[in-house]
Amino acid sequence: MMSMSNFPLALIYIIGAVLLPVLPRQLRSVFCLIVSALAFIILVNLETGASLTFPFLNYELMVCRVDRLSLAFGYVFVIMGFLGGVYGYHVKESLQQVAAMLYVGSSLGVVFAGDLFTLIFFWEIMAISSLFLIWARRTRAARKAGFRYLLVHAFGGSALMAGILLHLQQTGSLLFTHFDGGAASYLILLSFALNAAVPPLNGWLPDAYPEGTVTGSVFLSAFTTKVAVYALARGFAGLELLMWSGAIMAVYGVVFAFLANDGRRLLSYHIISQVGYMVCGVGIGTQMAVNGATAHAFAHILYKGLLFMGMGTVLYATGRNRMTELGGLFKKMWPTLIFFMVGAFSISGVPFFSGFVSKSMVIYGAEMEHLGAIVLLLNLASIGTFLSIGLKLPYFTWFSTDRNLKTEPVPKGMYIGMALTSALCIAIGVYPALLYNLLPFEVDYHPYTASHLIESMQLLIFTGLAFWLVMKKLHAEATITLDTDWFYRRPSHLAFNVFSVSICELFGAIERLSLRFVRYLVKVGCNPAGYAVEVTKNAGHILLRTEKPTREPSDFSPDRYRIPLGFMVLVVLLVLIVLLSWDFLF
Amino acid sequence: MKRKWLLAPITTLIIFIILDVSVVTGHAHFTFPWSHIPGFFSFFGFLGCLAIIYGAKLLGHFWLQQDEDYYDKDDEHE
Repeated sequence: MMSMSNFPLALIYIIGAVLLPVLPRQLRSVFCLIVSALAFIILVNLETGASLTFPFLNYELMVCRVDRLSLAFGYVFVIMGFLGGVYGYHVKESLQQVAAMLYVGSSLGVVFAGDLFTLIFFWEIMAISSLFLIWARRTRAARKAGFRYLLVHAFGGSALMAGILLHLQQTGSLLFTHFDGGAASYLILLSFALNAAVPPLNGWLPDAYPEGTVTGSVFLSAFTTKVAVYALARGFAGLELLMWSGAIMAVYGVVFAFLANDGRRLLSYHIISQVGYMVCGVGIGTQMAVNGATAHAFAHILYKGLLFMGMGTVLYATGRNRMTELGGLFKKMWPTLIFFMVGAFSISGVPFFSGFVSKSMVIYGAEMEHLGAIVLLLNLASIGTFLSIGLKLPYFTWFSTDRNLKTEPVPKGMYIGMALTSALCIAIGVYPALLYNLLPFEVDYHPYTASHLIESMQLLIFTGLAFWLVMKKLHAEATITLDTDWFYRRPSHLAFNVFSVSICELFGAIERLSLRFVRYLVKVGCNPAGYAVEVTKNAGHILLRTEKPTREPSDFSPDRYRIPLGFMVLVVLLVLIVLLSWDFLF
Repeated sequence: MKRKWLLAPITTLIIFIILDVSVVTGHAHFTFPWSHIPGFFSFFGFLGCLAIIYGAKLLGHFWLQQDEDYYDKDDEHE
C-alpha cells in the first residue's frame, strides 16, 4: 500500500512537470518551489526500511525503497532542486522548468529505485530531460554539444539495458543490490562509470555542461554524476578498480581544469575531480569511506551548484564566460564574488566551509586503510582545486586586467539563491553534525582536530604562495583542450562520410545513371531506325579507323522524319489489326 | 625589497614546522613515510602547486591545447 512512509518521490515532480505548462506564466516559478517544498515534506516522512512494490508484467517492481543511503542522496537532491528553483526564479520559459523538474524527479527516482527496471526507466528520463537544459540555450554550440551528449548517454543507457537483461537471465533477480562480478555487472559498471564521468568516459561532461543555460547548468552540475556515485556506492562498493580510477580521476580533472579557458568548463573539470574523491571513497568501500563519499557528494552538490550559480551570474550579466574575455568585474559584481568565494573555499576545503568536513572523510578513510599513494593523490587534487577555483578563476574574472565590461542588471532571485546556498555551505562547515546525521553509517570522525587543521592550512597557504610567485607569468589562453571526446568527435567526420555522405552519393549516382538510361531510351524510342543507322555508321568508322565526319547542321530534308514516322504508324496499325482481329484469330 | 617578501613565507613555514613538531608528529592516528617530516604538507603544497601548473602547461602546449575552431574546421559541409 502506498502511504506517506513509502511514497515514490519522483511522482510529485512528474505530476508537477505535467501541470506546469497549463499554469499561468506568473505562477510557474512559485509552483516549482511549491513542488520542491511538498517533496521535502514527503521526504521527511519517509521511513527507513519502507518499500513499495508494483506488479508489472511478470515482475514485482520495487518503485520505492528507503534506506539511509538513498535518504542521504534524496535530501540533497530535493534541497538542490529547491535552490536551483530560487536561482532560476526569473526564468519564465516552461521548457526549461519542465525539463529541470523532470530531471530532479528522475534523479530521485533512480535513488529510490529498488529494482533495476525502475532504475533504467528513470535513468533514461534523466538523460533526456537534462538534454533539454542544454538545448534550451539555443546556440549552435549548444545544439551540437547536446547531440553529442545524447549519443554518449544513449550508448550508456544501452550498456545498462544489456547489463540488466543479462543480469536478470543469470540471477533471475531484478533487485538492485551489490553486484558480484561477471559480464552483466561489468556492463552495468560501464554505464555507471560513464555517468560518473570516470576517465576515459569523461569527455561528455566538460563538452556539454558549459553549453547549458545559466540556470540549466546549475541543475546539470548537481545530478547526473552524483546519481552515478549513488549507484556505484550501492552496486560496486569496495571495488579496487574504482578506488584507483577515483584517485587518478581527481588529479586528471584538476590538470585539465587548469588548462580550461571557459569558466564553466573549468568548473566542469572540477566536477570530474571532485567525483573522483567520491568514486575513490566508494572503491575503498569501508564504512568510513562510503560515509565520506556520501558526505562529499552532499557537500559537493551544494558548493558546485553555488559555483555554477556564480559563473552563471557573470555569464548572465556580461554575456561572457571565457577568462580571456573577462576581468576587472570587482567593482560591478562584488556580491557575486563573495558568494563565489564561499563556494571556492568550500570546494578547496578551507576550515569552516563544507568541503573541509566532507573531503577529509574520504582521505581519512584512505588513511585508515594505509593507502599512502591514494592519500597523496587526493591531497594533490586538493592543491589543484584551490589553485584553479580558489585563486585562478576569481583572479581572472574579478581582478586582472580591467576590460570595462558592461553588465546587465541581475535578477534578485539569483542573489537569493546564491545566498541560501552559501548559508548551507557555511552551516555544514561550522556544524558538521547537520551532515553527519544523514550519512548511511554511524559517524565516528571529528574533522576539527589540531593535526587536520594544521595540515590543511599548510597545503592551502603554500599553494597560494606558489600561485602568487608565478602569477605574473600566468595568463588565460584562448584555446580548447583535447579530451577523450576527441575519439568520437574527430572520427565522427569519417563515420559521417561513411554512413551518410557516401550513401547519399551512391543514391545520387544511381539516380543520375537511371536518368541517363531514360534519356537514352527516349532517344532510341524517338527514332529506332535512325539510331540504328547512326550506330552502324559509327561502328563502321571505328572498325575501319576512318575519321568520323563532323556533323554539319544540314538544311531541312523531307526525308529526315519519313522513316521514324512511317515506322511508328506501321507499329500502331499492326497493333490495331492484331486487336481487332483478336476474336477471329483465337 | 625582495628579502622582505621572502620573510613572510619563511616565518609561516617555521611556525608550521614548530606546530607540526609539537602537535602533529607523534600524535597522528596513522603513520606514513612522510609523517615524520615536519612541515611536509607545506612543501607538498608548494611543490605540488608548481607541478600542476607546469605539468599542465607542458601537456597543454605540446599536445592538448588547440585553436578554438579545432573541431569546427571539418564542418564545412554543414
